[in-house]
Amino acid sequence: MTERYSFSLTTFSPSGKLVQIEYALAAVAAGAPSVGIKATNGVVLASEKKHKSVLYDEHSIHKVELITKNIGIVYSGMGPDYRVLVRNARKLAQQYFLTYQEQIPTLQMVQRIANVMQEYTQSGGVRPFGVSLLIAGWDEDEERPYLYQCDPSGAYFAWKATAMGKNYINGKTFLEKRYSEDLELEDAVHTAILTLKESFEGQMTEDNIEIGICNQDGFRRLNPTEVKDYLGAIA
Amino acid sequence: MSIMSYNGAAIMAMTGKDCVAIASDLRFGIQAQTVSMNFQKVFEMGPRLYIGLAGLATDVQTVAQRLKFRINLYELRENRRIKPKTLMSVVSNLLYERRFGPYFTEPVIAGLDPKTGQPFIASLDLIGCPMITEDFVVSGTCSEQMYGMCESLWEPDMSPEVLFEAISQALLNAVDRDAVSGWGAIVHIIEKDKVTTKTLKARMD
Amino acid sequence: MAALAVDPPRGGFSFENCKRNALLAQKGMKAPTAYKTGTTICGIIFKDGVILGADTRATEDTIVADKNCSKIHFIAPNIYCCGAGTAADTEMTTQMISSNLELHRLNTGRVPRVCTANRMLKQMLWRYQGYISAALVLGGVDPTGPHLYSVYPHGSTDKLPYVTMGSGSLAAMSVFESRYKPDMEKEEGMKLVRDAIAAGIFNDLGSGSNVDLCIITKDKVDYIRPYDEANLKGKRQGSYKYKPGTTAVLTSEVKPLELEILDTQIVSEPMEVS
Repeated sequence: MTERYSFSLTTFSPSGKLVQIEYALAAVAAGAPSVGIKATNGVVLASEKKHKSVLYDEHSIHKVELITKNIGIVYSGMGPDYRVLVRNARKLAQQYFLTYQEQIPTLQMVQRIANVMQEYTQSGGVRPFGVSLLIAGWDEDEERPYLYQCDPSGAYFAWKATAMGKNYINGKTFLEKRYSEDLELEDAVHTAILTLKESFEGQMTEDNIEIGICNQDGFRRLNPTEVKDYLGAIA
Repeated sequence: MSIMSYNGAAIMAMTGKDCVAIASDLRFGIQAQTVSMNFQKVFEMGPRLYIGLAGLATDVQTVAQRLKFRINLYELRENRRIKPKTLMSVVSNLLYERRFGPYFTEPVIAGLDPKTGQPFIASLDLIGCPMITEDFVVSGTCSEQMYGMCESLWEPDMSPEVLFEAISQALLNAVDRDAVSGWGAIVHIIEKDKVTTKTLKARMD
Repeated sequence: MAALAVDPPRGGFSFENCKRNALLAQKGMKAPTAYKTGTTICGIIFKDGVILGADTRATEDTIVADKNCSKIHFIAPNIYCCGAGTAADTEMTTQMISSNLELHRLNTGRVPRVCTANRMLKQMLWRYQGYISAALVLGGVDPTGPHLYSVYPHGSTDKLPYVTMGSGSLAAMSVFESRYKPDMEKEEGMKLVRDAIAAGIFNDLGSGSNVDLCIITKDKVDYIRPYDEANLKGKRQGSYKYKPGTTAVLTSEVKPLELEILDTQIVSEPMEVS
């Protein structure tokens, strides 16, 4: 395969744009919304998980995934591409641990994932990933939370709070109004749900959103009953 | 004759109260012929972090350089100082990579944690099996003598001054019973706010 | 796919020194020995799970290199592994299997099974044809119950209710053979494993120092280190403290160090994507 298609599919347009990357961002912007908020004592990730049919088994496939003990991610965009990145990221985290016997710092994880994503914009025979990631982590050394976004181009950003996917502009505007520096994790979870609710069509239940939290105990995905409790608290 | 005693070396590290010390002899020889009396075997890997390498001199220098390369990359990539324990893992991996064609050197690591200032000493065998201890570690051609000296001289919670005397006497008296090491000695006492480097008067025979 | 642009995680062994080392060996330069864990390690299955035991001596030829080394390695939260043989090999092999098992756990979302760890270990050791000298006792409790394996350096494995490994394995096995019975209580099992290790410590020169125990049950792991100190170090009678100023110093140099607080700050600025 390398010989036959050894040219990159992502090439510059005459105006200096990489349209493939822009198309990838368009795929992200059309994807299900995700929200990430950094609080003083942790980070929350939340994402919409709507199903096309009532026959769907909603708790067998997840959007929020654990990478290592202290890092978790969520995406907006194409699910299959995401799973490739998740597997890759887990492997990178384990490689780091084997060399240094130390959990990978969030920024290192982000840079390494971003590197993979960048590579898919320049390598032969591949297309860019159709996903943007939100990466939440807690660094044991620094004892503080981190929130990053990683785009198909390989660009990455550190956020206090952000939204991606469908209606992300509304989501961000909402967060700009609601965010405060001294937010606690519990409140951040509420704010994240409210941000998703802004553009949510239909009834929001524990079956069609997914939430992950990260604090000093590590990252974990909330189970449906916990999500239900949060939803009950804001209703 | 073992390849480990081709050039001759004696290195040890000891812990004290909020300080650590690492000491080495200074001889470089080719079997019985002494070539140099000022040969570096302890290398600085950070402001409070030192590694001593005993064994075949060519490998000592190669390992020191390859290690510095890996540490420099780590510190640039992560924008922070490497911890002694992390360094140990890096050394361990470097050596174990060559499990079936090893470098003939046995490292000794001494340092203070950049954040907590906790003393740390460790030694590794030539294929990278790490060994962390609370008291002392030794490596080199007269390890038996050094073990003996350290077992009797080491005490818990030594001050930097007492630690210096202990490690110096342990090393000097050990190398006096070894034909291929000695000819001068150097000691580094690592404290939170300073590193004191002393060269010792030793027997030159 | 093109090669990675990130610093390439090369993986695998490097053989660049082999030719030189063989030449040196040919010229009569003996290659030195690595740390060995002369070792007595063992394990039993008892009523509620598995008990692993190990001594804590590491030797380099006839020198005791480490008087208190840890030979019970972490594999997964519910699986531990005792290692005998070349210390670096047992250390690195268990680390690698632990890492692969963690990846497997994350990708499948299940509690890792002991038989999976066993299979991974034997496949790796078989691949290296016995050149990785790791003799292991692998034990743990998974959803299918307690399991205990012994893994040999060439990749063969046994699944038994009680196993011993290492140079002290005969001494330890003699204790098991005379006193093991199925479905023992925890206290009784711990005593038996302690006695087996102690038999190795006292009767095998390659084993010594303390007894470490690791008791794995369905929902709890007790890693007791040390469980028993077979030989207490005597109190030193005199003090050999040298008065400051005893050692003759030729040169002295003090390098002051700034008490730097290094803090990683991430400056975020929007990056241009177009």
